Amino acid sequence: MMRFTALFVTALLGTASVSQAQTGTLTVATAQDPQNWDPIDTFLIAWGTVAHNIYDGLIIRTPDLKLQPGLATKWTYLNGGKTLRFTLRKGVKFHNGEPFNANAVKFSFDRLLGAEGKKGPQQANYTSIKQVKVVDPYTVDFILAQSDPVLLTKLAGYGAMIVPPRYIKEKGAAYFDTHPVGTGPFQFVSYKNGESIRLQAFPGYWGGKPKVANLTFRFIEEPATRVAELQSGRVDIATAIPVAQAATVKGNSKLSLQAVPSPTVQALRFNVSHSLTKDVRVRRALNHAVDRDAIIKSILQGYASPIASLQSSKSYGYDPNLKPYPYDPAKAKALLAEAGVKPGTPIGIDFIGTDAVFREVAQAVAGFFQAAGLKPELKTYETNTFYSDIIPKNKTSNAYQMGWGGWTFDFDNTAYLLYHSKQFWNPDYSNKTLDAMLDKQHTMSDQKQRLVILRDIARFTHEQAIDIPLYNQQDLWGVSKRVQGFQAPSDSLLHLRTVSVK
Amino acid sequence: MARYLLSQLFQAALVVVFVTLVVAVMLRFSGDPAVAQFQGASAPTEEQLREIRQAMGLDRPFLVQYWDFLSGVVTGDLGTSFRGETAVRSLIAQAMPPTMLLALCSLGLSVLLSLPLAIHAAVHKGSWADQAVRFFSLLGLSFPNFWLGIMLALIFGVTLRWLPVSGYESAASLILPSVTLGLILTSTTVRLLRASLLDVLSSQYVTVARSKGLSERRVLYKHALRNTAIPMITFVGLQFGGLIGGVVIVEQVFAWPGLGSLALHAISNRDYPVLQGTVTVLAVLVVLVNLLVDLSYGLFDPRVRLE
Repeated sequence: MMRFTALFVTALLGTASVSQAQTGTLTVATAQDPQNWDPIDTFLIAWGTVAHNIYDGLIIRTPDLKLQPGLATKWTYLNGGKTLRFTLRKGVKFHNGEPFNANAVKFSFDRLLGAEGKKGPQQANYTSIKQVKVVDPYTVDFILAQSDPVLLTKLAGYGAMIVPPRYIKEKGAAYFDTHPVGTGPFQFVSYKNGESIRLQAFPGYWGGKPKVANLTFRFIEEPATRVAELQSGRVDIATAIPVAQAATVKGNSKLSLQAVPSPTVQALRFNVSHSLTKDVRVRRALNHAVDRDAIIKSILQGYASPIASLQSSKSYGYDPNLKPYPYDPAKAKALLAEAGVKPGTPIGIDFIGTDAVFREVAQAVAGFFQAAGLKPELKTYETNTFYSDIIPKNKTSNAYQMGWGGWTFDFDNTAYLLYHSKQFWNPDYSNKTLDAMLDKQHTMSDQKQRLVILRDIARFTHEQAIDIPLYNQQDLWGVSKRVQGFQAPSDSLLHLRTVSVK
Repeated sequence: MARYLLSQLFQAALVVVFVTLVVAVMLRFSGDPAVAQFQGASAPTEEQLREIRQAMGLDRPFLVQYWDFLSGVVTGDLGTSFRGETAVRSLIAQAMPPTMLLALCSLGLSVLLSLPLAIHAAVHKGSWADQAVRFFSLLGLSFPNFWLGIMLALIFGVTLRWLPVSGYESAASLILPSVTLGLILTSTTVRLLRASLLDVLSSQYVTVARSKGLSERRVLYKHALRNTAIPMITFVGLQFGGLIGGVVIVEQVFAWPGLGSLALHAISNRDYPVLQGTVTVLAVLVVLVNLLVDLSYGLFDPRVRLE
């Protein structure tokens, strides 16, 4: 036993001395294997967490959500906003040595917007781009089908990553799926399905050499295992620490816990096609009936904040002056009585049963509804069935869970999709005033004016009590203290070039 | 024998076809894989969904899809994952070795543990050792395997730091998952083996053997054990199906990149080709193991003739 321990200590010291130099390996544990690395094929946060180290977009979004030049050094709107012109960075190379230029940009977007992109979920985000034209080797024009206020943000993520034309033409898309090549700070070494992806520093990176030599992402789905690996020191950064394990991470002297507001909000939406929840007084009553602060404090252990609309506090359109309905059980009862709702009236609440945290939240909400005199009935579903069948086909009960993460951090991303009439995830609610506001801001280029409308939309949905916004979740990151210079991003997109290990 | 084999193989093929058909039908009742691609991050229009479904081949009639799948199985082409363009065959080829390794190690471990324990317990029936074996096997049965897995990981991985908590990197990473699964298997095997040994030891031919003056050791190893071989092998064969079920959970706990993890992801992503492919492979495995079990009877009991 002693010998075993001694051996282990030597091994530890060994790795420690190696990482003294400006090299070392940084290991990140994520919850999911995206199963392919092609930007146009995926919509997984786990993809973004890894792939933004391999690829660059024309624009880069920093951890504090600011847009800054990426592969484009500047951009201007021409033709009254119908053309978006990018000036490209010179001297950039892909990991395989292929030069980056206007052709690569055109190729990337032709692919995304063409037949290949049709097979994946990314194309839907970029439909405002009609065409990409090469002006000269380092200038491209995006001809827009309509003005899109969120386009620049979208160009900093996911499907808009620039890919190498020659490599993809020679090797084929299936090979590219599992052997990604980009212009990012780290280049691909190996990928094992369901296990890990290994990267190494790309010495020719245009933005400067990364501070670690190797970067490994391991896919560990079970949260308890992720935390255990973090504790054991075999993982340096772990994503998606469950609230229940936050104290374990925080209490460990070798680890730190970073909490950042995520894009995700949790809400209960009302199905207004049911007689009970058709009445705005009932919906307002139920908003008053729920003690959000108690839920946040006891179930989420404080790792969330109350909200009044379905957006993160970091989202464009957020209005700090709009406050949630105050917890007022007496008022809730009075409003229900005014609406003629008899005590003991049943109210259905649907939620995703595999979500352990929300299960508790749903039970708490049911308790509050019961206190208001109703008879709550909880019903659970599996995630995919819920989102692809129950919600869009209007099979929900009076109230149902909606967890929504607008990855662009722009209220439009949520509001348009959830409140506009006949949208996929909104089969029941329809209001002309709201539609008009949503449409107006959807294609507006004046951002200041847009902000005013987005706030009007939030106020309108609040007054109509279309839903009960419960809380804005925080993402919890477990970080080893040997990691230097890491800032947990709100959008889960990791940029690890400037991170080093002790 | 040849005729027996043929009829068994035919039956096996029927079972596999039936299993895959049930899986294929059930899958199509549970959510749209095209919507699953969006993960709630954006809203698809009906047109986009149509295009994605078409790309996935889901716009064709169910029987056509199923027929394509079956003929693919015959030619060894299991299609392409809905997530990207990776061939299902290569996904399975990658996931197969870790699962087989884990299954065989846990099975081996459980045999190594349960044989001596059961023999000792049966021979010394009622002793404190027998009581202990029975107590611990009952304890083992009552543990959910994911809990045992997490506990072992916390003790040996986090606190003592002797072994890697998860992953598939070295021989060391094999230890915790196979011990977890092996211990659970041992608990059931040891009980069964002990019971059937006791049964045999009290039978007439053992009494006869003893009265002929054979040594206890000879009675045990030459006569008794041999006669518990058939129920044991049958049991291990049946266990194999359960073992695969256990593998799914244990793989999840230890981030083991095997067939179980592959199947679980395929379910949550509604990745039909991957799930159908994995289920087919697992069904074939279970059926084959059971066939081998049948065939092995003759080895242990000369009276068994397979016709």
